[in-house]
Amino acid sequence: MSALTSLTSLLIFPAGLTLILFGMFYEWVDRKLVARFQNRVGPRWFQPFADIVKLLAKEQITPKVVNPFLFFGLPVIAVSGALTAALYVPLIGFAPVRSFTGDLIVTIYLLSLLTLCIGLAGWNTSSRFSLIGATRALTQLFAYEAPFLLALLGPALAAGTWQINLINDYARGHWMAISQPVGFVVALIGLMGKLELPPFDAPEAETEIVAGALTEYSGRGLALFKVGKSIELIVGITLVSAFYLGGLHGVLPFLAKTLGVLFLMAMLQSLLTRLRIDQTVGMWWRFGSILVLAQILLTIVLKGDLL
Amino acid sequence: MNIETTLQQAEGLLAPWNKEATHPESNRLDVVIASGSLRHAVTALHNAHWGYLSAITGLDLGADAGQMEALYHFCFGAALTTLRIRLPRTALALPTIEDIIPPATFFERELHEMLGFKIAGTKSNDRLFIPDDWPDEVFPLRADFSIEQAKPVEGRQTDEVLEAGVVGGNKFVVPIGPQHPALKEPGHFEFSVDGEIVTAARMRLGYAHRGIEKAAEGRNWIQNLYLFERICGICSHTHSLAYCLGVEKLAHVEVSTRAQAIRELVAGLERIHSHLLWLGVAAHEAGFDTLFMYSWRDRETVMNLLEQLTGNRVNYSANVLGGVKCDIGLEQATAIKEGLNFLETRIRHYLEVVTTDTMFLNRTRGIGTISYTEAEEFGLLGPTARASGLVRDVRVEAPYGAYKQFPISAVTETNGDLEARCAVRLNELLVSCFAIRAIIDNLPQGPLTVKMPRKIPAGETISRVEAPRGELFYYIKSNGTEHPARIHVRTPSLCNWVSVLEKAVGRQLADVPMLIAGMDPCFSCNDRMITTVDRSGSRQTLSWTQLRERGIEYYRK
Amino acid sequence: MTIGTMFQDIVESFFKKHATRLYPEERIAPPQRYRGVLSYSPSACTGCSLCVKDCPSDAIELVILDRAAKKYVVKYHMDRCIYCGQCVVNCKFKCIGMSNQDWEHAALDKKFMVYYGRDEDIASYLENGAPPAAKTTGK
Repeated sequence: MSALTSLTSLLIFPAGLTLILFGMFYEWVDRKLVARFQNRVGPRWFQPFADIVKLLAKEQITPKVVNPFLFFGLPVIAVSGALTAALYVPLIGFAPVRSFTGDLIVTIYLLSLLTLCIGLAGWNTSSRFSLIGATRALTQLFAYEAPFLLALLGPALAAGTWQINLINDYARGHWMAISQPVGFVVALIGLMGKLELPPFDAPEAETEIVAGALTEYSGRGLALFKVGKSIELIVGITLVSAFYLGGLHGVLPFLAKTLGVLFLMAMLQSLLTRLRIDQTVGMWWRFGSILVLAQILLTIVLKGDLL
Repeated sequence: MNIETTLQQAEGLLAPWNKEATHPESNRLDVVIASGSLRHAVTALHNAHWGYLSAITGLDLGADAGQMEALYHFCFGAALTTLRIRLPRTALALPTIEDIIPPATFFERELHEMLGFKIAGTKSNDRLFIPDDWPDEVFPLRADFSIEQAKPVEGRQTDEVLEAGVVGGNKFVVPIGPQHPALKEPGHFEFSVDGEIVTAARMRLGYAHRGIEKAAEGRNWIQNLYLFERICGICSHTHSLAYCLGVEKLAHVEVSTRAQAIRELVAGLERIHSHLLWLGVAAHEAGFDTLFMYSWRDRETVMNLLEQLTGNRVNYSANVLGGVKCDIGLEQATAIKEGLNFLETRIRHYLEVVTTDTMFLNRTRGIGTISYTEAEEFGLLGPTARASGLVRDVRVEAPYGAYKQFPISAVTETNGDLEARCAVRLNELLVSCFAIRAIIDNLPQGPLTVKMPRKIPAGETISRVEAPRGELFYYIKSNGTEHPARIHVRTPSLCNWVSVLEKAVGRQLADVPMLIAGMDPCFSCNDRMITTVDRSGSRQTLSWTQLRERGIEYYRK
Repeated sequence: MTIGTMFQDIVESFFKKHATRLYPEERIAPPQRYRGVLSYSPSACTGCSLCVKDCPSDAIELVILDRAAKKYVVKYHMDRCIYCGQCVVNCKFKCIGMSNQDWEHAALDKKFMVYYGRDEDIASYLENGAPPAAKTTGK
């Protein structure tokens, strides 16, 4: 690929700018769906964009006790992690911009980099609320990371490869939501945990700890974290729907499948009460892990049978 | 046991210290005792389980009289015994009774901060209602108080930036309030946590204090009706009802049965409004935003009904001294019945959600459990007490107004946890709906208002009314003029705070907002006095940041 | 174990119209008893000032220019009024009322004083103030 094509695909389309705009669009869909489920109107289509613009225009208040390098650097690292992770997934139905063997693991860890940055940011600002929020965010990371990874491992095993675009190609025609239902459920719920959506939003429980780890962030820093979160939303949904819902090849299947997953997630968000952090961890380590391990074993056995 | 025998029993118990006993009203007994025998008298009543301590009122009998009086009110069903202690202004010493009756601590602190009684033997001398920079030895409710005395003291406001969260050793203090998304009104709580488990709890009130009791003394009886109505937005009708009942008793005016029935109807509608609001808030604290949105959507129905009936959605001003302002015609009656049909279906649905949804139960079942004996000891009131099986409901024990003709059955649960409190409140609403329908179908005929004198005859009276949060206690004293001499309001939320502070220890931090919401706090009801704006517009300004930082700093020591 | 007890509500709401009313495009008519801004007619007034006496927030002032000729000017502080309706209850001659249509008075400036009365009375009051023999009641 020539340098110009590389740069364009990296910065403008399909990653980079387009990705950010798509992320905001998906965030809007999520908020609008939840509002409609609650019999409300919901925000207008440009609301997330307006939020980011407003935040960029506001003053950034820096607490006295922070390490300035970390304070200003962590949002940037978080967003870059999310943007990089997006390079390896089939965004908007096109083939991933970059691809190599084992990029599944790299993508997942790049997404976790975002959560780690949030945790570190909370620890760094060391206000009482952000410390508790950071602790909860990292605890939740330890809780759902393993089952989520294993749930994505199931399709990888079935496809026989660690490379995302190869799994995507294998999934075409194989709807693994049907052949590995338990894995699908765990992946979906794990995604909600990763994105800190209700019922797993204990790390940013508004009624208990104000805003969790990001309490002391304002202005540009907060805007960057928000952008990072919306990118994580898109990348996570793309992964799950690519693996379990028959692969993403083309713009229309992409839109249909990812919006379908988003619809399901919005419905689950409205139906369920927030879990306490100890209940989250308990649930994941007891049910989540066992279910997904059983699913993987079953896949291995079946695959062995078929081969 | 009827009222007479109950009062005789009390008189018998207090005989050894009784200096003078009178019956100012048929259900009241006033016993004058000396301050030295206060603890003996209280212990005697407490050990015989004669009722519960309802309020402690302080009276300033005037600068000329040179005396102040403290009144300790005990309620047993419909009977009331008041222990009166008269003290000279220069020697206002009283022993504490907080070791015998724990909730007395809030009342005693109010006595001290507002009138200057020195209570000996209290565990903590922290300020509760008054801000830190209020000058010492200046007591707002005294007769010789003037606004010039209330200049803020310099140097007691702390402006330093908060340090990092860890405070001494491994004690980590999480402040909730005065500004916090969990609180709908400002209040300050400090929870020391160890990881996620709460190890100690403290609180501070007074952020919404408006000086209502003092302001009442400068307004005439009719103006005060509207002042007291605005103590609280969601129990406003019960406040105005208690005030009207008291003043009408003093004036020996009998309100028509039609007006009484309409008052009960509006009170029932207000209860529906208040409990639906509470349900939404509790769901929001738990993280169940869907229930929050739906219950508040349905609350719009009852607010529209109230608007149609009285003219306003909040602060209805349905009462006037001597009756009510608004009548119920055919149009209103039909609208109310339709609205109630819809509301009953929804309330039953919420009852089902609250008692069967597993994830919501995870946050409410077994949390904040208060047993029957604990509830009695803490002096809890209202639905918080009824959830533990303790029947404290003024509408049942001492029916007033139309509750004799249209009675309410008491709703109780036995578990005493948050789930029980949800269930009690929702079941109460179903009982209220039933009573409202009965009233509409059997509305007595009669005039809406009765003539009231402008000068209320001298005397003292006590009126107790059941607000959505518990028993509301009004002590009204008149000296025969157009202005009241003293009105003391004791709101139910003040008694229920003990439950939060005691029960938070040992639980997770995540349960704390639920615990606070579970007792349905009404901060506006709690805080009723500090200096307010006087006519020329001078005011005492305290920024929220300074208040917050001061509160945290203060408790860090 | 029951999960998702509000499922029916959610699904229904998705297909129903939202419960929010889009004010100001969509205005609901207030009910008939709604307590809005004051209205006053001097023709029935006798100057008894009972409305002024019992106002909880001193929102109303009565200037009596000429009692016999029924020249009254009412000064109404719209920002102090708490819309309780006590003045309406007190008035025996039904010259004061509360509108149920006129209630949208959020404003950007603080000129909240409204004068009621006949136009010539208001004009003469604003020019000359209260005549020396007249009594102004109100605090």
